[in-house]
Amino acid sequence: MGGLARRVGYIKSFKLRSNQEVPALFVDAGNLFTDDRAMGSRLPDEDLAKNRWVTKSYGKFNHDAANVTYNDFLYLSDLLKKDGYQERLQEYPFIAKIVSANVHPTDKNLQPLQPYVIREVSLKRGKPGATIKIGIAGFTEAKPQSPTDKPTAFEVEDPFAAAKRVIPELKKKVDYVIALAYMAQPDAQRLATEVSGIDTIIAAHQVSAQDEPQKFNQTTVTTCFYQTKQLGELRYYIRSDGVIENQKNRYIALDDAIPDDPNAAEYVADAHTDFTNEINKAQQIQQADVANADTAILSGKSLYIGQDSCAGCHQKEAQIWQKSGHAHAMETLQKRNQHLDADCVKCHVVGFQKGGFQALYSTPQFANVQCEACHGPGRVHAENPQKGYGFVQTPQGCVVCHTQNNSPDFNFATYWPKIKH
Amino acid sequence: MTVPSSRRITLRRKVSLLAAMTFVGLLALQNYGCSGPGPDAIAPDDTFHPDLNEPKLKERLGEDDGYALAVMYGADIHGSLETCG
Repeated sequence: MGGLARRVGYIKSFKLRSNQEVPALFVDAGNLFTDDRAMGSRLPDEDLAKNRWVTKSYGKFNHDAANVTYNDFLYLSDLLKKDGYQERLQEYPFIAKIVSANVHPTDKNLQPLQPYVIREVSLKRGKPGATIKIGIAGFTEAKPQSPTDKPTAFEVEDPFAAAKRVIPELKKKVDYVIALAYMAQPDAQRLATEVSGIDTIIAAHQVSAQDEPQKFNQTTVTTCFYQTKQLGELRYYIRSDGVIENQKNRYIALDDAIPDDPNAAEYVADAHTDFTNEINKAQQIQQADVANADTAILSGKSLYIGQDSCAGCHQKEAQIWQKSGHAHAMETLQKRNQHLDADCVKCHVVGFQKGGFQALYSTPQFANVQCEACHGPGRVHAENPQKGYGFVQTPQGCVVCHTQNNSPDFNFATYWPKIKH
Repeated sequence: MTVPSSRRITLRRKVSLLAAMTFVGLLALQNYGCSGPGPDAIAPDDTFHPDLNEPKLKERLGEDDGYALAVMYGADIHGSLETCG
């Protein structure tokens, strides 16, 4: 579900269905860039490739605004460098549409972010010929503090204070104010109640809420779906005097009912090739330097032991597993050429980034969803096979990976018999 | 033909004023966002011909009941133009 090609396909279909009489904006509430493989304050080439394609495609398909959050800081500190900024802006015009009212560079060599953008759209319905100005401002929470945090090139101002400063200024310039808010739902609601002048808050926080939007005073608060697997859509009904009289919110499942836009699909394919090339290069370097690999895993001292060891005693269970989808989980990713993407790999292997699977070349024994993916690391149990190991609470243990987003059809009652052992 | 010096000065002032206004305008645009009727987000083109009567797509698009404007939204793509499955 989801992805650029379907999202663009839906929006184009939407416009064609209304005979191109309805202007449609697209806004992103934050967490645009990856920093998954960051090493200290540096992004590796494969992350840079992904982020470059996001910036390029958001510009190509005229997306209207994107909010900034702390996951974006590393790449932003490249995009906003004053040195070469104008050239970069020409190559990636979307940079000018990345907004934040409460993220400020602390490095004087970085270009400040703009607090908001203003889009003016011409109406063909409601009051044909009239224009309506929409202001889109960005706010984010600060990163939850962790002892391993490295200093960044940005400071995050209190979003409520920033909103109280920026929204009145924006309200004077536009007819309608949208706040993109990367923060937990209670904070988005607080923004709605404490700051007047916002018409709609579009909140995001790595969740998948399908709740109806809530209204606080004059402000509507709605929430994004994680990874935009479902597209949020606000429809506005405008009176003949040009005033917005009503709005409706919908979520559209971007599944195979939505045709891919061929141009966007081409961008996605090119981005994928670029990313795969970069990660292959990185893995070749690692292969040449075995010392880079986790020595505990390579020397057999990982807390994980792998399927073959489990099967030594649990043959019946191992046979059932062999026939299950779990045993072929990595194959599924390989078919889609996603076996190098950490976001996907973590749910298709054992112990990813926890001392288990690293990569197919170095730790193939931990590929696929094996026993220890659900039952936990087995070394201690294998060395001292007593009772008390391996209890799995269901369905809680399953829905760690079988989320609404990744596995929308998941139903424990029908899925469990497929792996019952 | 020579331009009188007083007219030359006026002309120079006008050019300077125009240059200053252009600079200030560009600066404002850069600092306070792009305004104006720019291209619509994702305009339909000749490469895309969806079957709008296909029942599942029709259901996703919902009823056209007179709305005049739409704002589509999403988040958390975290560097991925495609999702895992």
